[in-house]
Amino acid sequence: MFSLAIKNILFYKGRSLTTFLLTFVSLYLFIVYVAFMNGSHQSMLQNALNVYTGSFQIYQKEYRSKGGYDYLIRDTRKPLQILADTKGLKAFAPRLETFGIASSKTYSHPIMLTGIDFNREEKLSELKKALTQGEYNTHGACLYMGENLAQKLHLHLGDTLSFVGSAVDYSFVAELFEVCGLFKTGMYEFDSQSAFMNRDYFDTLFFSKNMATYIVAMAENLKHNDAVATKVEKKLPQELQLYRWQTLMKSMVQLMEIDSLFGYISMGLFFIVIFFVIMIYGFININARLREFGVLRSIGVSDNKISLLLLLEILLLTLFAFVFALPLGAYTAYYFQIHPIVIEGMSEMYKSYGVVSDKVPTLFDPLTVFYNSLFLFALNLLSIVYPIYYVRSFTPIEETQHV
Amino acid sequence: MIELKSVDKYFYKSQEREVHALRDINLTIQEGEFSVITGPSGCGKTTLLNTIGVLDTIDNGEIYLQNREIANLSSKEKTEIRLKEIGFVFQAYNLIPVLNVEENIGFIMRLQGYSQDTIKARVREIASLLQIEKQLGALPNFLSGGQQQRVAVARAVASKPKIILADEPTANLDSKNSTALMEMMHELNKKEGITILFSSHDDYVIKNARRTILLNDGEIIES
Ligand SMILES: Nc1ncnc2c1ncn2[C@@H]1O[C@H](COP(=O)(O)OP(=O)(O)O)[C@@H](O)[C@H]1O
Ligand SMILES: [Mg+2]
Repeated sequence: MFSLAIKNILFYKGRSLTTFLLTFVSLYLFIVYVAFMNGSHQSMLQNALNVYTGSFQIYQKEYRSKGGYDYLIRDTRKPLQILADTKGLKAFAPRLETFGIASSKTYSHPIMLTGIDFNREEKLSELKKALTQGEYNTHGACLYMGENLAQKLHLHLGDTLSFVGSAVDYSFVAELFEVCGLFKTGMYEFDSQSAFMNRDYFDTLFFSKNMATYIVAMAENLKHNDAVATKVEKKLPQELQLYRWQTLMKSMVQLMEIDSLFGYISMGLFFIVIFFVIMIYGFININARLREFGVLRSIGVSDNKISLLLLLEILLLTLFAFVFALPLGAYTAYYFQIHPIVIEGMSEMYKSYGVVSDKVPTLFDPLTVFYNSLFLFALNLLSIVYPIYYVRSFTPIEETQHV
Repeated sequence: MIELKSVDKYFYKSQEREVHALRDINLTIQEGEFSVITGPSGCGKTTLLNTIGVLDTIDNGEIYLQNREIANLSSKEKTEIRLKEIGFVFQAYNLIPVLNVEENIGFIMRLQGYSQDTIKARVREIASLLQIEKQLGALPNFLSGGQQQRVAVARAVASKPKIILADEPTANLDSKNSTALMEMMHELNKKEGITILFSSHDDYVIKNARRTILLNDGEIIES
């Protein structure tokens, strides 16, 4: 039956070629498409984490549910020491967030003023890279703020603004600041609400020495984040709690899952079309060969062997297409992972999604490719089920008389 | 060997265009017989051969092949009988288009599990007998009608079945080839004891048969 299947494949070239090409093209596209999809998700995440969020954060237990100065980390020295003793971390830094009103001569806007350690942040986040004007590392009564925020307040570099807020003991804080630096991360919300200042001066204003809203940390390798986080978690004092990026970025993760789902659905629809085309071609071919099947059955080939023959044909065609499409698709995906396609202006268009580069990222993941191939493979085999049923529904003599 | 008892066969039963193709056929064919079914076109020759060859079902009566009633056999058992006991030659050759002549002739033997060497030797023997040894490598579509018919006969006889059923095997052959084919059939019949039943309206063939079964409008009128 095997050699007969091969001969049939070679003899009925039209059907073989169509099936081969369709399978080849769809598997190839699938691999590359999924690689791009996963790649862009991965890079969006990576961007978002790199820009500001880090790969995990440590809070006082109730801060994230209740908020406010009552739930600050009161003494950062111990957790910072724990982080310093943990391997696999690129950087970590405490941040203290306060909220208040910033006003220029004519405009006011609520802002989040965060006291940071500029030297530590430099290794951790992309706040320095995001600098567009002035200075990053500000001293004294100087603010480093988002471009969009400056725009809203109609402020320029060197201008003065007033800030009103409250210190951690709930006393008033009012101060005049100079705009010393401007930044743009591409995340609009962030750029239109945030301002940063040096921790030393910040602590004298807000009475917040050694306190933090949270401590942010970045793993050297995002893949090992979970393990590193677990290590830290074990050593942390009871009152502190660690949150991984998956929790911190929950909405983004969900957004990507939805996007992936839609990606898979549209790919699925594409496959269903391909499936029917393959099936129809198979069916037309088998209908034209009905007489041949009648003859085979008449001279003593069992129905099961006929089914086997048809299955073998599609199996071989599919395998053959896979042999070409798999390495080629994998190679393409891998190639673009190393040499990303550059589309000018893409970061401009997608900046609200956190895209900061014109490179189209690709992520080649063998396991995903494997599952997707398996799915396509099953689909192809499925396409022959109806034709087999069709062939078996006739008596041999009906088939031999078929024209 | 072959026994038919009150066999009826309809096409489009209970419809307006119903055809009563076989009417109350009673027929016994002994082992080793060499018989021909004859009669005008449309009288039911092909239908009769198909029912005996376990290719088509009947509506009434019983058919015994070597004392085994075939109507109630499973499709697996029917396949087995077609493979091992019957060699069938179709009126319309019905060769397998993707296999060359040699593979077509040897196909049944291959299904039966003969060794490659045995098959090869047997195919050559039959091919030379039927004068198609030059065409062994060709695909059926490149052969003339007569050549295809001889390949079809060769395929049926190659595995030396107990019964050969042939539907108008000489219809597409010239008289020389017809004679050769008939001689070969006689030889198979005599030497191997193969029971041969075929249909024909070729006078030469009919004269050469030992027994003639005359069919008209689905009924046996002489046998
Ligand atoms: N598959 C079929 N469907 C319907 N009618 C058929 C079929 N095969 C044969 N018949 C009818 O049965 C009768 C006998 O046909 P057949 O056995 O082919 O005759 P012969 O072989 O003697 O020419 C004819 O009337 C023919 O039209
Ligand atoms: Mg006929």
